[in-house]
Amino acid sequence: MSRTIAESVTPPGPPAGSRLGRIAWHWRNNSKRELWFAWYTTVVFYNIFFIVFFPVTHAQPPPHPYWSDAQVAYWFNHDHDGLIIGFAIIFAVAAMTAPQNALIAYSMRRMSVSRAFGYSYLVMYSLSALPGMLLLCVVLSVGALRPGRDPAQLHWLYDFGFLSFTGTMGIFLLGSLVWMLAILLDKNRVLPKWFGYLNLCNALTEVVVAPAWIFHRGVFSWNGLISWWINMVVFGIYTGAFITLLRNMILREDFGDGPLPDIKKNPEATASALAGTAQ
Amino acid sequence: MTGAAQAGPRPGVAGQPPGKGTGEPATAIPGQPDMWVLVLFEALVFTAYFAVYLFHRSAHSELFLRSQATLNPWLGTLDTLLLLASSLFMLRCVQAARAGAFRPALTSACITAFLGAGFLASKITEWVLLVHGGHGFTSNEFFAYYFFLTGIHFLHLLIGFVVIGVIIYQLRGPARRSRELVETCATYWHTVDLLWVLIFSLLYVVR
Amino acid sequence: MRRADGELILFWTLPALAVIWVSAFLLFPGFTHPMSPSMTAAQVAGFYRDPAHLSRIRYSMILFNWFGVGLIPMLMLLVMQVRRMAHRTPILSYCLLGCTAGGPTVFLFADLFWLLAAFQPGRDPQLTLMFNDLAWMTFTAVVPFLIGQSLILALAIYLDRPDRPVFRRWVAHFNVMVAAALVPAAFTGLALSGPMAWNGLLPFWVKNIAIAAWIAVMSIALGQNIYRQRADGSDQRVTEEAVAA
Repeated sequence: MSRTIAESVTPPGPPAGSRLGRIAWHWRNNSKRELWFAWYTTVVFYNIFFIVFFPVTHAQPPPHPYWSDAQVAYWFNHDHDGLIIGFAIIFAVAAMTAPQNALIAYSMRRMSVSRAFGYSYLVMYSLSALPGMLLLCVVLSVGALRPGRDPAQLHWLYDFGFLSFTGTMGIFLLGSLVWMLAILLDKNRVLPKWFGYLNLCNALTEVVVAPAWIFHRGVFSWNGLISWWINMVVFGIYTGAFITLLRNMILREDFGDGPLPDIKKNPEATASALAGTAQ
Repeated sequence: MTGAAQAGPRPGVAGQPPGKGTGEPATAIPGQPDMWVLVLFEALVFTAYFAVYLFHRSAHSELFLRSQATLNPWLGTLDTLLLLASSLFMLRCVQAARAGAFRPALTSACITAFLGAGFLASKITEWVLLVHGGHGFTSNEFFAYYFFLTGIHFLHLLIGFVVIGVIIYQLRGPARRSRELVETCATYWHTVDLLWVLIFSLLYVVR
Repeated sequence: MRRADGELILFWTLPALAVIWVSAFLLFPGFTHPMSPSMTAAQVAGFYRDPAHLSRIRYSMILFNWFGVGLIPMLMLLVMQVRRMAHRTPILSYCLLGCTAGGPTVFLFADLFWLLAAFQPGRDPQLTLMFNDLAWMTFTAVVPFLIGQSLILALAIYLDRPDRPVFRRWVAHFNVMVAAALVPAAFTGLALSGPMAWNGLLPFWVKNIAIAAWIAVMSIALGQNIYRQRADGSDQRVTEEAVAA
């Protein structure tokens, strides 16, 4: 598959009309619909994730590591429904992380670097959801399941949940470095170099969070100012950046092998780029 | 970091194809503008760390003062001098590369790495001495900050060696000598030096 | 040498796997009469301490541990089928690849928790209860990858060319139904008894029957595809394209 000329075999553009009509047109005709599916899934997932983890379950920002057994037991029992329902939603939709990883792996496939980069990232991140998110969901659900459970056991589940979530570091550390390396070596200008460097910052957040395994209180604990709050700001900027950049990548995609063209700056061109049609 | 060496006027903005001028002088910013994004971002993050440190220091000033007194100011000064010297040689490397004198540039790059390695050795020595003296990562609040800040800086310095490796790789092959790339790498190294000066001031000097 | 060598062998591991899985399923006393979440700690401890149960628990779970990931080759054959569909990019096969990694791994976690519970039956009953809870919650509720697998497959089929599809449309509809059947199991934590408990109608019976049906139906559809593709040689060309891609 070494096509070097961009193809476009789709009809001119979506009909003017209702929003639903246009979406239906894109579903049937947009040559980039798989990529847009992956991108929209990513955006929807992060919204669900934020809503579940922050207001519904109150698992983020994390409660304190230094609480006593009694305080931990109170936290579980006080929020039984939020925990169970919130994590049940995650159990239903967590596979939405797969299209995100696939889209990022695809970005590396589009680059001039070896296919090994995309596959490495895909494999690493496919497994990341298990220790890095689902373990917390299972363990905290089990904790909330029986209000009469021994508080010392609840405390063990509490530690297990939050440490596994915050403290699963290696996948994100090395995965970010793989993406960084791919971007910096890439000659197809798929993603900007500054984002490659931002991957380094994201990888370093995984180093900064390591003291959470050691400290029970203070700025380096799992909800500390440095290990959680500042880290989350970095991660949030990073996530916002790559969601935007992947959108740009899809708009620019020409299904060729060479450097990606830039986004043209007029509205018709953007519409045709969205649809993957010729201009 | 693309390895393409370009002979003509270089674009002022990354991502623009060569030849499409933007009207600005091509070398308005030394090195890739993208590297400056990293520099700024890291500076912001470290500023946040320093702010947290200073805030907690003001809350526990007696403890921090006592702990700071156990630090070895000579080793700290040596570290600073080593890194400053390394930055000087990095500057010479860039100047030589600009002038096309690639052998001297290569030599300067190697000396930079050598001085950086000296810093690493000195830092490790200092850490070992501290730990043997009973002051570890978890000893008290000050030392948590101390080991964290010097540790994360150490990591940045290790990355700096990879960066010097990129410079050396560029300077050795005649087809690869991208001036932009050398300048980009130098920017990173200077940033690591600057971060150390700030850390040194905060941890060793400010009492 | 045919690039597609070995696919038939991988495919025909499925019946052997089915026999092993069904045997292990029937061997585990916690499945044949599904354990209720409303059992007390003493009852759960008693379950693991019962000499008639203990060996069966351990051996069935050891079997599951060995063969739990045995479905992966079949799942990879499915990924390759998706790769052969008329899509613009390989991104859907990447999605499927990602989902398939998750399912067996989650099951392995549940398996480990059951084995842990059975390792020291003399423990404090509260601890045994906790390990048992962890095992059942993991096994029952952590269904996202199975749901994702089915939905991605359905999407891939819907987006395939309509005149010469790799899988026929009904396979996609079937997958959507299976995904829907699995969703209630995610909410099993809400009930300790009744149809939503982990031994209840939706999270246990509907879910496990749906999974069994999915394996059976997809195996047959996959087998038909593999034989058809070998007969008309399309696997050879497409595999080479796929490998070059």
